Amino acid sequence: MKSIDIIHSEHRALASVLQALRFVVGEIGAGRLQPDFRLLSSMVDYITQVPDKVHHPKEDDHLFPALRARSTAAAGLIDALEAQHAEGYRMTVGLLQALVHYQAMGDKAFANFEATVLEYLAFSWKHLNMEEGELLPLARKNLTADDWTAIDAAFAANFDPCAGAQGEFEVLFGCIVSMTPAPYGLGTAR
Amino acid sequence: MAELLALESVWAGYGDAVVLEDISFSLEVGGSLALLGRNGMGKTTLLATLMGATQLKSGRMSFDGRDLAVVTSHRRAGLGLGWVPQERDIFPSLTVEENLTVVARSGSWNLERTYEMFPRLAERKGNMGNQLSGGEQQMLALARALMLNPKLLLLDEPLEGLAPLIVQDLLRIIGRMVAAGDMAIILVEQHAHQILPLTRQALVLERGRVVYGGDSDSLRDDRSQLDKWLGVGTH
Repeated sequence: MKSIDIIHSEHRALASVLQALRFVVGEIGAGRLQPDFRLLSSMVDYITQVPDKVHHPKEDDHLFPALRARSTAAAGLIDALEAQHAEGYRMTVGLLQALVHYQAMGDKAFANFEATVLEYLAFSWKHLNMEEGELLPLARKNLTADDWTAIDAAFAANFDPCAGAQGEFEVLFGCIVSMTPAPYGLGTAR
Repeated sequence: MAELLALESVWAGYGDAVVLEDISFSLEVGGSLALLGRNGMGKTTLLATLMGATQLKSGRMSFDGRDLAVVTSHRRAGLGLGWVPQERDIFPSLTVEENLTVVARSGSWNLERTYEMFPRLAERKGNMGNQLSGGEQQMLALARALMLNPKLLLLDEPLEGLAPLIVQDLLRIIGRMVAAGDMAIILVEQHAHQILPLTRQALVLERGRVVYGGDSDSLRDDRSQLDKWLGVGTH
């Protein structure tokens, strides 16, 4: 069941960026941090690209079909999670638009950007909790050893939860870590 | 692969108190071991015993073919044991680069390679140790241990107290160090799920005794035992 460890690891990697985004936006809102648009755009780019290109395909193409085949009770949950994957991508487009607007308009557009971020974060935490708390326990209970062998094989090519299978997001993740102000990242505390 | 470290029925502790009881395991050259257990189960004491900072009551420890018991603690680093303690112990009044070069020993880990692994330290090489954030200090502690070019690196809870973003970054770096195979690594952590994917072997301590010694993959698939030995949060 290495594939479950990979999903957990990718959830933790994504959650670390979401948490850092919450911190940065909160600090800007409190007036303790000036907006760093390179950092904000890196974070939005990461949470747009990595779930869509690295994480969700593993679930959509391998885990969900296997669980559907083994458990009729899981169908409703999987339907909801698939819909959330599509909705999540749509929301990241909105997030990017709000960021562009904030960068163009300055402080008066911050409230809209902050609200869009908070809405996205609430959505993401709910989605992650559904997968951690409902999907993965159901998968552990219903999938057979042969199912896991097949899913593990499909996941085997990818074991870098932050950077993607070929390290295509390594530079982006590294930038986020080094630009996010301490104590959440390695950037200069302000 | 040749054996690097072997402990046979080691009993050790502080003064009259025995903390470790009948510990046996071995680690090969370039191997990796996750040392797990709840707080107070003897993980740090085991590392301290390897470094000669406790009292060895009985048993045998060999490292690179030598009997460790007859090597004084201050000479063990020279044998190839590198220790990154929880306290980090960096020099606050030296620059990042001075912290690295003051301990350097010849080997494949030099400044260039170390900066390549920790680009943030290259950016901060002129900063004093006390000007670094907690995450940067932990990176410096790790990088300094690499500059010793040890045969065995002992990492005592390197992720403790750090923000999730930095934890993720350090996990990737430690994963690369393990994969490089230049040195064996013993990694102490409370969060088993984060390090079991990185190591080949695992050892679980409970009240100073080994309750699991084997491969990491088998342990991470055994949720009931993980929950029993390590409690919540192990997935």
